[in-house]
Amino acid sequence: MTSKKELTLAYSLIIIFFIIGVLSYAAFPAKSPDKPVRLMFKGVAGKVLFSHKLHTNDAGCSDCHHNLEEDETSPEACGSCHEPEMEDEDVPSRTDAFHSQCIGCHQENEAGPQEKECSLCHVM
Amino acid sequence: MQNRQFIVSHAPFWHNGSKISSRSYNTVIAAIPALLLGFFHYGSPVVGVLALSISSAMIWELIMNLITRRPLTIGDGNAALTGTVFAMLLPATSPWWLVITGTFFAVVIGKQIFGGIGSNAFNPVVVAVAILMVSWKDFFDFNEALLNYDFEFIAAYPLAELKHFGTSAITSFDTVDLLMGKQTGGMGATFGLGIIIGGIYLIIRGIIRWEIPVSFLAGVFITALLFNISDPLKYANPVFHICTGYTLIGAFFLATEDSSSPVNFVPMLACGAFAGVMTVLIRNIGIYVDGVIYSILIMNLICPIIDKIRPKALGKVV
Repeated sequence: MTSKKELTLAYSLIIIFFIIGVLSYAAFPAKSPDKPVRLMFKGVAGKVLFSHKLHTNDAGCSDCHHNLEEDETSPEACGSCHEPEMEDEDVPSRTDAFHSQCIGCHQENEAGPQEKECSLCHVM
Repeated sequence: MQNRQFIVSHAPFWHNGSKISSRSYNTVIAAIPALLLGFFHYGSPVVGVLALSISSAMIWELIMNLITRRPLTIGDGNAALTGTVFAMLLPATSPWWLVITGTFFAVVIGKQIFGGIGSNAFNPVVVAVAILMVSWKDFFDFNEALLNYDFEFIAAYPLAELKHFGTSAITSFDTVDLLMGKQTGGMGATFGLGIIIGGIYLIIRGIIRWEIPVSFLAGVFITALLFNISDPLKYANPVFHICTGYTLIGAFFLATEDSSSPVNFVPMLACGAFAGVMTVLIRNIGIYVDGVIYSILIMNLICPIIDKIRPKALGKVV
């Protein structure tokens, strides 16, 4: 059995923490930063963790965001054109676009990994 | 050695004033250092998750008390403790519904349907996290959950790095940094030193017994050491296993839960060591990134049988 004092404390804790919890979720909703820090690409072959920040240190925006206009500073997300399944043959599907972009640049800069080492990027 | 004699007098007795609520709230106090570092790393979302977790756990207990028409037990602080420890294991970015669903699994499925405090066969928090990990595993993928945080330390979840990319990927993790909480993970589970300080406080106050955490950590250390000796290129060193994932919080806060852990000396050592061994087995040869949750669940399962190993009764009753 619990005493009346303990019950009063418990009721107070419920009310206080519930209000703090609801207010925190309402006041600080989860939002993505304007410039991504890291991205998780998901596909049937597993997830690929991509450090956007690390790559922007070495490469310019237009090295990957290929349709960037001259003074444009806020490129579109890759997925807005490259959908998982594409009917348009001129626009590669999301997986194909990432594969050619990532592998092409990594090979060019000899940044590894070698061919057929899928598990060095893809994680199931 | 002089034998101490205990004299039991007849009634009336005087209660020494110890309460379940003081045990619960003291355990919450012991969790504060680890949670403070979580707040420092992840900011305001920690407050939201923690507050919602504590309040919703207490509300679930209150609802169950009312439905089952049993005395109100929220005053004992056990639900608040369940909410606190559950929040410590979550990523700071957990959505509100995950927190509320989790505390439902912990308090209702993990504890109340067995009959409330002291009757639960499994640690309620571990039951809840195990169910959530199976149901929504992406929320417990700390690499994915914490994508938007720009840390001053390595942002990859250490155990995931080890699992997916081998020991070569973990050479950049420094042991002192790991112990000081410079790693990603549950919002109250990464600050190893803080958890150890909290654990020692609990041991000194007599709330948890030293046998379970010490044997758990010894089990992890020795098993990981054997794996490491057998193939250092494939298996991580034992100190890495102790400083990462849920190992330390599992040793001090999860495995020691009152009703789901043994009470006798030898069983406490055996169960703790068993859970430690299982943790490393799951991590090294199982498919899961971290094995603490499932190993403690299995430990809870075998506890009643192992607890049959009892000391010899003193004297003989005629």
